[in-house]
Amino acid sequence: MDESFSNLPTSYLLGSVPAVVSEEKTPSSQEDGDEQQSTNNWKGVFSISSYTQYFNVDTDVVLNRLISSLYPISGDFFSKIDANPDLYGLVWISTTLVFAIASLGNCATYLMHRRSDHSTSWTFDVSYLNVAACSIYGYVLIVPLAYYFLLQYLGSNASLIRFWCLWGYSLFIFILSSFLLVIPFEFLRWTIILLGGGASASFVALNLRSYINESEITIVVISAFVLQMGLAIFIKMWFFA
Amino acid sequence: MSHSDTIPLHSTSQSDIDEIENLINSNPSSVLPARPPSPPRASIPISSAPIPPPAFIPSNLPAPTNPKTAPVPSVSSAAPKPPLPPRPSGPGGNISASGFGSPPNTLTEPVWDTVKRDLSRIVSNLKLVVFPNPFREDPGKALRDWDLWGPFFFIVFLGLTLSWSASVKKSEVFAVAFALLAAGAVILTLNVLLLGGHIIFFQSLSLLGYCLFPLDIGALICMLKDNVLVKVVVVAVTLAWSSWAAYPFMSSAVNPRRKALALYPVLLMYVSVGFLIIAID
Repeated sequence: MDESFSNLPTSYLLGSVPAVVSEEKTPSSQEDGDEQQSTNNWKGVFSISSYTQYFNVDTDVVLNRLISSLYPISGDFFSKIDANPDLYGLVWISTTLVFAIASLGNCATYLMHRRSDHSTSWTFDVSYLNVAACSIYGYVLIVPLAYYFLLQYLGSNASLIRFWCLWGYSLFIFILSSFLLVIPFEFLRWTIILLGGGASASFVALNLRSYINESEITIVVISAFVLQMGLAIFIKMWFFA
Repeated sequence: MSHSDTIPLHSTSQSDIDEIENLINSNPSSVLPARPPSPPRASIPISSAPIPPPAFIPSNLPAPTNPKTAPVPSVSSAAPKPPLPPRPSGPGGNISASGFGSPPNTLTEPVWDTVKRDLSRIVSNLKLVVFPNPFREDPGKALRDWDLWGPFFFIVFLGLTLSWSASVKKSEVFAVAFALLAAGAVILTLNVLLLGGHIIFFQSLSLLGYCLFPLDIGALICMLKDNVLVKVVVVAVTLAWSSWAAYPFMSSAVNPRRKALALYPVLLMYVSVGFLIIAID
């Protein structure tokens, strides 16, 4: 985090608008932020420098984690993110998913109505965005929190950031499958969503099992699987009906 | 406390009136004495002003420093964008009702002057940001002269255009568009800051708002012409233009290894706005 970018030349692309106006000032202001943080812990909540440690990833690291979320069987996701869990995936995958299911859901609904009744015209239902945002953000923020508290209560140590990271990356499959769900054949849609939901749910469940490492909490693992499948079915039924 | 060589002021003048008087003394040419706050009727000869001065003196003047210097990344998370009060123009600006030499007192000028100055700043920022000219002599000028009026107008205009185009749920469409753009600009800036980039919060808000201008034009055209194919073409062109305008700014703000991580959310926001423009019927 402290690798200073003031050594990098500002971009001299022709016609570009360089963003860094006073490079020499920002390292000192960063240090002030760190000093402040060490003296008063509560102030760290409102300072950006205390959250940059969760976004300390490069493009290739994020791509690597995205690809590994598509392989549900391997079960080594936690070992991959152990040194450097990131919240970038959580924020932007869930935002992309919200937008994807709201927009593609509208397209899919239109196409389905078009098949049954050739005279329907395109309408855009803006409430899809509201429902999508509430449900996806709610799910991906609250479920890992609940599991964190549950596992703390049951005695095994858990890390909230890693749980958020896991659930965030598990939503990537839904983005890909929502593109396929536009195809207006009901049987095909159910197949796609069950496959995608199953892959995502087993990704979550298997990684959780390898992380927890105790045999008497299989109910926790199973409930994670069921919840993820529930999310998949909800997406199908509300947005791609 | 009143000096015999200057205009006699009321005896209940505050101490900073003395400071002002010193300024008046140092620049006796364009003097517009302001009336004291308490019950007034001091006999103040008004020198050359075309309009009467205001009826009170603000006790702390707006600091006559150039507001574009010394920016610090501010951390107000998810703050809504406030429209800023009009700023004094550069030193040497010759506003007709200027008070105290340099800088001119923007509180006493006519409203039309203020509006004209802000409009000209919006236009100049627009030209600098949205039409990047490779031979431009001062690439950083748009950054130093940032303001939030331009972005505010563009966002509200886009929301209104989308709302007019919609046939049902008009107010919800406006709310969604406005929230998406305003919160999106803030979140994009926070994203760059969190990735360890060097960016200044309000400069970034300002630039992202100005880069919305092509999409505004696209939305206006789509509102007037309702053919789907035309809409797709127009939105694609204006989307590419907006992204091209925003690209150099965002990509230079972060480490090159994280460039795609900073640019992807910008693309996502513009694509979602473009989709809203096409899809609103």
